[in-house]
Amino acid sequence: MTSTLDALAATAEDTLTLGILDEGAKREIRRATLTAVCVPGYQVPFGSREMPVARGWGSGGLQITLAVIGADDTVKVIDQGDDAGVNATNLRRMIASTTGCADTADTREATIVQTRHRVPEEHLADGQVLVLQVPVPEPLRGVQKSVVECARMHAEGDYSAMWVSLYEDLVRNGMITRTTGYPVLVDGRYVLATTPIPRWDVPRLHDSEHLSLFGAGREKRIYAIPPHTDVRPLTFDDVPFEVEYTPGAACVLCGHDDVFLVAAGTSGAYACSDTEWCARVREADADLTAHRDRAPLHLLPDPATRLTGTTTTTPRPQRARPAPTPGQDWALRVDGLGKVFGAGGADAVPGTGPESGSAISPTTGAIVAAWDVSFDVAPGEALGVIGESGSGKSTALACVIGDEQATAGTVRLAALDEGRTDLLTLPPEARRRLRIDSMAVVHQNPAAGLDLRVSAGGNIAERLTAAGWRSYHGIRERAAELLDRVEVPLSRMDDPVRTFSGGMRQRVQIAKALATEPPVLLLDEPTTGLDASVAAGVLDLLRGLLSERDIAAVVVSHDFAVIEALTDRTLVMQLGRVVERGLTDQLFHDPHHPYTQRLVAAARR
Amino acid sequence: MPVLSIRALRKSFTLHTIDGRTVASLHGVDLDVEEAEHVALAGPSGAGKSSLLRCVHRTYLPDSGSVRLGDTELTSLPDRAMARLRGREFGYVSQFLSAPPRTGPLDVVAASARRRGLDPSEARDAAADSLRRLNLDETLWDVDCSVLSGGERQRVNLAAGTVRPPRLLLLDEPVSALDPANREAALDLIEALREHGVAVLAVFHDLDAMRRLATRVVLMRDGLIADQGAPADLLETV
Repeated sequence: MTSTLDALAATAEDTLTLGILDEGAKREIRRATLTAVCVPGYQVPFGSREMPVARGWGSGGLQITLAVIGADDTVKVIDQGDDAGVNATNLRRMIASTTGCADTADTREATIVQTRHRVPEEHLADGQVLVLQVPVPEPLRGVQKSVVECARMHAEGDYSAMWVSLYEDLVRNGMITRTTGYPVLVDGRYVLATTPIPRWDVPRLHDSEHLSLFGAGREKRIYAIPPHTDVRPLTFDDVPFEVEYTPGAACVLCGHDDVFLVAAGTSGAYACSDTEWCARVREADADLTAHRDRAPLHLLPDPATRLTGTTTTTPRPQRARPAPTPGQDWALRVDGLGKVFGAGGADAVPGTGPESGSAISPTTGAIVAAWDVSFDVAPGEALGVIGESGSGKSTALACVIGDEQATAGTVRLAALDEGRTDLLTLPPEARRRLRIDSMAVVHQNPAAGLDLRVSAGGNIAERLTAAGWRSYHGIRERAAELLDRVEVPLSRMDDPVRTFSGGMRQRVQIAKALATEPPVLLLDEPTTGLDASVAAGVLDLLRGLLSERDIAAVVVSHDFAVIEALTDRTLVMQLGRVVERGLTDQLFHDPHHPYTQRLVAAARR
Repeated sequence: MPVLSIRALRKSFTLHTIDGRTVASLHGVDLDVEEAEHVALAGPSGAGKSSLLRCVHRTYLPDSGSVRLGDTELTSLPDRAMARLRGREFGYVSQFLSAPPRTGPLDVVAASARRRGLDPSEARDAAADSLRRLNLDETLWDVDCSVLSGGERQRVNLAAGTVRPPRLLLLDEPVSALDPANREAALDLIEALREHGVAVLAVFHDLDAMRRLATRVVLMRDGLIADQGAPADLLETV
């Protein structure tokens, strides 16, 4: 009698090949790879397996290669442009011996090229697959620590942080210094890290004939650039993308300068990074003319075109102001807005409010932070919302902004769909977009509206790039104009905001809020936390800005002086309800509600 | 049609901070002010003269009654429309300057002129002209209003109120802190308003000003109009 094990062993001899990955794992990786090809540039998570190489030694690339390779393939492995490196040699041998495929150093013969650091100098043709071993797949890692936030930015196509990092690089260094991993926009949708290749190779990914697959084993991500996909390096319209270049350098072996060169030895000499290409050039087995056409020589650094022009080459994006709709003179309208923290929703409301003397529901214990708050603001008008701490004014504003999820009510913007759409029904990403150019916010704490590590100009650049500005000089000009208006010395424009005083930070925040000339401006305690003389300066600035612009402003403050200085009309809130509303001077001189009278009496002391 | 028409205007204050006590101020006032007419409110302190002005301006919200500016009912006008109308269609000059802090006289007056429809350069010219007529020293034109003397501030306030005058001006003791020479200039300026057809409703404490400016004197007592007539007839009885 034959045992099952013997039977299996007998059949396996003929049909199964020894492999590092089991068929299930290969299917998983192929599925992820297919998804990646279908959504160019999107990082697909996959169940990364243990490999017989250390993570960081090409385990991601190896898994892709082993999953897509067949016995009739020919594999080439490059490490730092070199086929003969220890790592490249070992990976190549391992792949060939476990899959039974052929191996080669000649790019023209290879069907799969697994690489670290380089795209071969030789032309990659239709049908060839380039597998890249990726160390850090997340292009946003350098600008955003939170993985969740990175995912959101990709999902919403919100890459302004990336643009700010390029802007900051230009400000600090006069040029973009990032070499490997230059960010590119794939198919007009996802920003992708071109790690591990140098900038020299980036143009080779655009509209290529071959398929590029990127594998990151440690971070468990696969992404792809299918053939003939649009791949654009992120760069400002007036700052050309440049490749690495050492003036006068040429390969000591083949003598060519239209290749990616690396320092050879310590003598200051250079040699081709791609050893296979260099050897073939010397053996006269290379199409030099075609290669020269391929080389990114038009992208060599040209100091004459870099950052010298002061003229704006691209027009500023202009957002057409919606024409006022007849019979509707508001820019922002809020109806019946409510927010309940805790259980019960609207059922928690009875028994709360000024009459009950409490915001806590007697039935459910929920906190009714704001209820039935309604107001509208017209262009050129400023509305005040006043009340003590805990009166619900900031909660109501947070619901309008979208920082809090409102329990009830509607919020409309004239700039959005002529005021027919309720903002509260929009998904969070749509509300975030509105905050770029339709409804700006100035927070009490500048850190909430600014990135303190980034320069003053860079913070403004963030808002402008989010709104579609792509001219470096245009952005600089606009930022300088705004900072000048808010009286931040232009000599401080390129300093990180964390080096600014509180009043200066608040001015930068105001400049950023106004950057896109939003029709609605929401100010949450704009001068609270500043000492008296600084607060006075910020208040004067805001008064000037509001009077010279046709902006609809909502000013939330506990301070009557702020409300009086900035607003025409005011709401008084107590325990989550609007208890009185009127002209600001009338509320101050002829307050009706007991609570308002108390507030006024307190303010007069 | 009168520029300003007040009917059955009542106003009282409920003081919640003092155990809900109610203080009555106006008990049903009827008053018309025609174009180019200067109506002076006279009467003892607490008679409701200033309250009446403030009810028209809606710094006080009237309890009942009607205040019409031309065709427009002011008591029920939405706050936003009222805010727009103020300064543009009618002005209120109080005894004290209510200028935004840290602004200079020229800016204060020019801002007022801009609200009344002048473009920025015209507004500055008009403001300069107005300040000059009130003899405000040119070296003070760009200093912070809060450092000015009482008389200087009052002149800035009057200049802001009368520059490019609107149809109706409410004046609440606008010359109380001025020395005789400046007072003359201020009264000249107010007198000239009538040539522009401006309707004026004013409170003055001194009889000379009233005799000189008023076309009609309205005597108020206890929140009601007690008597009215030509200055010459009425002022002898006060």
